[in-house]
Amino acid sequence: MFKYYLQLAWKSLIGTPVVTSLMLLAIALGIASSIGTLSIYHMMSMDPIPEKSQQLFALQLKSYDENQTNWGGYDDGFPAQITYQDAVNLRRGNIAKRQTAMLRITFAVQLEDSDFTPKLERSRAADREFFSMFNAEFEYGGTWDKSADEQGQKMAVIGERLNRELFGGGDNVGKQVSLNQKSFTIVGILKVWEPTPMFYDVNGSAFNDTEQIFVPFSLLPIYEYPSSGNNSSWKNEDIFTYQDKLQSETHWIQYWVELVDKPQKENYQDYLSAYIENQKQAGRFTRKDAAADLKNVTQWLSYNEVVSKDNSVLVGLSFLLLIVCLVNTIGLLLAKFLRRAPEIGVRRALGASQGQVFIQHLVEVGLLGLMGGTLGIILTQLALWLLRTNYSSYKLIANMDMVMLLTAPSIAILATVLAGIYPAWKICRTQPSIYLKCQ
Amino acid sequence: MLQMQNINKIFRTELVETHALREFNLTVNAGEFVTVTGPSGSGKTTFLNIAGLLEEVSQGKYLLDGVDVVGLKDRELSRLRNEKIGFIFQSFNLIPDLNLFENIDVPLRYRGFSSKERKRRIEEALEKVGLAARLKHMPAQLSGGQQQRVAIARALAGEPKFLLADEPTGNLDSLMARQVMELLKDINKQGTTIVMVTHDPALARSGQRNIQIVDGQVSDFSLFNNQKQEFNSQTEQVNTKETEAV
Repeated sequence: MFKYYLQLAWKSLIGTPVVTSLMLLAIALGIASSIGTLSIYHMMSMDPIPEKSQQLFALQLKSYDENQTNWGGYDDGFPAQITYQDAVNLRRGNIAKRQTAMLRITFAVQLEDSDFTPKLERSRAADREFFSMFNAEFEYGGTWDKSADEQGQKMAVIGERLNRELFGGGDNVGKQVSLNQKSFTIVGILKVWEPTPMFYDVNGSAFNDTEQIFVPFSLLPIYEYPSSGNNSSWKNEDIFTYQDKLQSETHWIQYWVELVDKPQKENYQDYLSAYIENQKQAGRFTRKDAAADLKNVTQWLSYNEVVSKDNSVLVGLSFLLLIVCLVNTIGLLLAKFLRRAPEIGVRRALGASQGQVFIQHLVEVGLLGLMGGTLGIILTQLALWLLRTNYSSYKLIANMDMVMLLTAPSIAILATVLAGIYPAWKICRTQPSIYLKCQ
Repeated sequence: MLQMQNINKIFRTELVETHALREFNLTVNAGEFVTVTGPSGSGKTTFLNIAGLLEEVSQGKYLLDGVDVVGLKDRELSRLRNEKIGFIFQSFNLIPDLNLFENIDVPLRYRGFSSKERKRRIEEALEKVGLAARLKHMPAQLSGGQQQRVAIARALAGEPKFLLADEPTGNLDSLMARQVMELLKDINKQGTTIVMVTHDPALARSGQRNIQIVDGQVSDFSLFNNQKQEFNSQTEQVNTKETEAV
C-alpha cells in the first residue's frame, strides 16, 4: 500500500502546483534557516580532536600578586596564558608525554624569486611536539630536531596552502624561505590541517584559518618576535626591551601538555605544585592560593565560551521561524485536504478505513517534507556558500558535514509529518456520507 | 442479506433533534432487487448510508449478510463495506484525477489483491459495461452514461453480494437511463442483491419489490402489490367467464 500511497501523494502534489509550491517554499525556508544556523552551531561546537580531547590540557597558573583578585578575566581567577619565564621553566620538565609552549606571531614572507610578492602570514612559534600533540600530519618532511628546540635554529614547517602559494605545491623540504628577512630552511610541509574550532589558541576568534608557518619557540629570545596575540600583565613594570618582556610578569604564552592517563596527570599536577612552591620560595609567587589548573579541550572550549549563548538563542529563533513556516503549511494542508473531502468520501465508501486515509495523507506530507527538506538543503548550501565567500571567519564553520546532511531531511520530514498530523486526522474523521450526495 | 430491526437514527445539534429513521424495519433477501421511494426528507438517504455502513445507527439491530454490524469498529466496517457492498451514486463519484483503470482499482487496492488479480478484475468489469477500450481515459472524457457505467464497473469489480444504488439514473437522459437499468437487471439476474433509491415511479416498478419510506418508517407495498395482483387476476377470471357466457 505504501507504494500506492506514494503514487497518490505524487499525483496530488503535482495536481495542485501552486499550493504545493507555496508549501514547499515555506518548508524550505524554515528548514534552510534552522538547518543553516544549526549547521554553523554544530560545526562551532564540534570536538575538534575527539581522539585526544581528554588527554590534551591547557595549563593555567594563578601566579599574580595577592592584592589582585580574579585577575585575567575568568571567574575562577586563572588567566588563559602564562609568562615566558614560567613557560621556559616548565619546558624543562619531562613528565608529560608531550608539551609545547607557543605564541602567535606574524611573519613577512619572501622568496628569492623576485616574482613572488612578499606577504604577511599568521604564524606560530611552538615546540617540535606541537604537531604530534595536535595530530597535524605531514605531507612531506617532519618537525624540526630537538636541538632546534634547545638552541633555536632557523627551521620552519609550512602549511599546505602556503606551500602551494610559494612553490606551486610538491615536496619543497630543504628549500629556503625568508621570514622577517631571515632565511629559514623548510623541514616539513603539513597536509591540510584545519581543527575547528582552533582550540589550541582561542584568543580573538577560534574560527580563523590555522597558521601556515611554524618555527621553534626557542627563536623568541634570539629574533625577538612580537606577539600577535593577547598580552596582559597584572604588574606595573617598565618594559623597554624584548629582554625586559621575557623577564616580565606579562602573560602572553600559551602552554599545552599531553597527559595520557590519570597517574600521569596526577604526577604532572604534583610537578606543578612543586614548581609553585619553588617559585614561592624564590619570592616570585606571592599569593597564598597560587595554583595551577589543567583543562582538557572540551573544558577549555566551554571555559572560553567558544560557542557563546547567543548562538544557542539564534538556533532557537531559527527553529521558531521553522515553526511559523510549518504553521503556514498546516493551514495550506488543511485547505488542500478538506477540499479533497468528497474524494475521501468516495474512498471511504469503497472500503478505505480512517487509518488508511490517515496514512495516505501522512505519506503525502512526508513526501512534501522530503521535497521541502531537499529544497531547504539546497537553500542552506547556497546561504552557507555566500557566508563562506563573503566572510572569511565563516570559511571553516559555514559547512554541512555528513551528520547535518543526514539530519536535515530527517528534521524536514519529521517536522512536516508533525505539521500534517492534524490536517490528516481532520480529513480522516470527516463523515463520508455528507460528500457522496453532492460531489 | 439485509435485516434491519427497530432502527432509530437521530441527528442531534445543540438546538434540534431530528429523527431521521424511527423504528425502521426492513428485510431484503439475497438476490432481491428492491427499489426504495419516498418524498424528500423521508429518510431514504439516511437508510442508504446506514445500509452502506457509512453511518452508525442510534438504536436497533442491523445484520448484513449475517454479520451484526452495530458496534463494529471503523476498520471492520470498512472491510465489510469493501468486501460485501458496491455503491452506485447519482453523480457517479468517479475520482476526476484518476483514469478509468485507476478509479476501478481503488476498492481493489483496499482489498489487498495482487496487481495481476486487480488487472484481471478491472478488465473484466470494464468489459461487462462495454468500456474495455477506454482504460486510460479520464472521467471527464466520457459522457454521463459512460461515467455511470464506469461507476457500476467499479462497484462490480470487487464482486460484492450487495449493490446500493442511489438514484443511479438521476443525472442521465432516458436512453442512457434505460441502458443503465438493463445493466443493473442483468447484474441482479446473476445473483447480486440490489437496493436502489429512486424518485422515478417507472424505475420503482422495475424492481421485484418497492418499499416506500415515509417519515423515517417503511411502508411495505408488497402486501398491496399482492392484493392488487390477486384483484387483477380475479377480475380477469370474471371477464373470461362473462365472455364465455356471451
